[in-house]
Amino acid sequence: MTPNVPLIAVERVGKRYPSSSGPVEAIADVSLTVGEGEFCTIIGPSGCGKSTLLGMLAGLVPCDSGRVLVAGAPVTGPDPRRVATVFQDPGLFPWRTALENVEFGLELQGVPRDRRRQVATDLLAPLGLARFADKYPRELSGGMRQRVAIGRALAIDTAILLMDEPFGALDEQTRVLMGEWLLDIWRRTRKTVVFVTHSLHEALALSSRVIVMTARPGRIKSVLELPQPYPRAMESADLVSLRAKLWGEIREESMRSMER
Amino acid sequence: MRARTRSLQVAILLGGIALWEIAARAANPLLYVPPSAALPALRDLLTLTSYPDLPSHLLLTIQEIVVAYGLAVLAGLGVGFGLGLNRVLGRVYAPILAALYAVPAVVWYPSLMLFFGLDAASKIAFGFLLGFFPITLAVLAGVRQTNPQLVTVARAFGARPHVLFVKVMLPAMLFTLVGGLRTGLALSVIGVIVGEILGSKSGLGSLINHAYGLARTPDYVALVVLALGVVVSTDVAATLLERRAQRWTAE
Ligand SMILES: Nc1ncnc2c1ncn2[C@@H]1O[C@H](COP(=O)(O)OP(=O)(O)O)[C@@H](O)[C@H]1O
Ligand SMILES: [Mg+2]
Repeated sequence: MTPNVPLIAVERVGKRYPSSSGPVEAIADVSLTVGEGEFCTIIGPSGCGKSTLLGMLAGLVPCDSGRVLVAGAPVTGPDPRRVATVFQDPGLFPWRTALENVEFGLELQGVPRDRRRQVATDLLAPLGLARFADKYPRELSGGMRQRVAIGRALAIDTAILLMDEPFGALDEQTRVLMGEWLLDIWRRTRKTVVFVTHSLHEALALSSRVIVMTARPGRIKSVLELPQPYPRAMESADLVSLRAKLWGEIREESMRSMER
Repeated sequence: MRARTRSLQVAILLGGIALWEIAARAANPLLYVPPSAALPALRDLLTLTSYPDLPSHLLLTIQEIVVAYGLAVLAGLGVGFGLGLNRVLGRVYAPILAALYAVPAVVWYPSLMLFFGLDAASKIAFGFLLGFFPITLAVLAGVRQTNPQLVTVARAFGARPHVLFVKVMLPAMLFTLVGGLRTGLALSVIGVIVGEILGSKSGLGSLINHAYGLARTPDYVALVVLALGVVVSTDVAATLLERRAQRWTAE
């Protein structure tokens, strides 16, 4: 790949959804690029179109205007060889065990049974799920389910990992631990991660760049570069002032989003 | 636990038979056949002394059931998925189907006999009609209850439509679908036998009608028990199918 083509390029995309009270403009005129190996976080009030934007990157939501390019080629549909997604709702298949859920993507790609079983088994250990391989989703806690969903996305070993509020349903402590664990994976695999969250702490602890979106219709409000090394000392003067700045921007948009 | 349930079931069965014997003797044993008279009649039936041509009647009934149910499954799956996966068609036709299902099916039988005559065809048509609705409605319900998030996930991982159907839709709706197939089977069997009772010269139902008409009540009871046996054995077959389906989705 030529070095000056960004891995992901979003060019002036917009999306409207039909609704009973006329079309709803979910996002408008969003442009951004994500370079290889970045951990890019998108943060914004709920309903501002974060999931819609991620869906466009995944090839699941068609753009009404503009386009998305991955490695220079326009996205026309899901491309599981390049992009893996962890959804806000983990969407595990209830009739498959944890292990079989992790195998799903490899199965669709026609990877032989023994091989995919091996890959999935190797993934379950670092996910803390080794003892739960044969459990069904209903037998797992919320955090475990989300880890299975992450395992399912990691199993197909793509260059790009999209994550939509993956830890949103977890308690604060589990969240922090999962964040540390994800950071570790990201630093080892050098995947490009686009991560949606509504947690300031997560955004500041994990990202190399934070993109703040406005209230609906979602546009890009500001971009924050975070060159600070990992693991980050969240109490350092640097990060405390960044946090205040970020909170100021998000607060403004959240208020606007509540007022309508 | 299982053994206890079993012995309880046997006890209830024996108790029921004893009550039946007492009640029938107290009343008129000619009309209310006691088990002591039904059992010899059943033996005569099974040894082909009372109805020597029973095998050919039974074979005909089973053939009618197989054809009626086979057609009901094909049509039920076809119409169910056609309406379930096509939103516009589904909105138009699904309520009509549900309304038709609510009509007592026997009202259709006279017109089926007019269309298909007195022989096997009208029995097959009736068995088909009874089996078709629960299968179709189960498929419709199954499609509707499939979690759309699972479809989204599968698409994200590269599932094409036929893979989506086999790996997501079918397993997601399996229990509803198998339930519908079972109900459909039971109703197809009932449809065929009732059709034979209502008007036919051959088949198990026609023998029931014959015994009843000649007031051969012990034979009548023995034939009803045999019909019960047919229904129960199809249900056992359905249970085996259900187990297999479960194992298949687990794979
Ligand atoms: N499939 C859809 N149909 C109609 N409206 C939708 C659909 N998906 C999202 N929306 C609307 O678009 C807006 C943005 O949604 P979403 O992208 O989920 O936001 P976020 O993830 O930031 O909470 C919301 O107002 C939501 O109600
Ligand atoms: Mg969302």
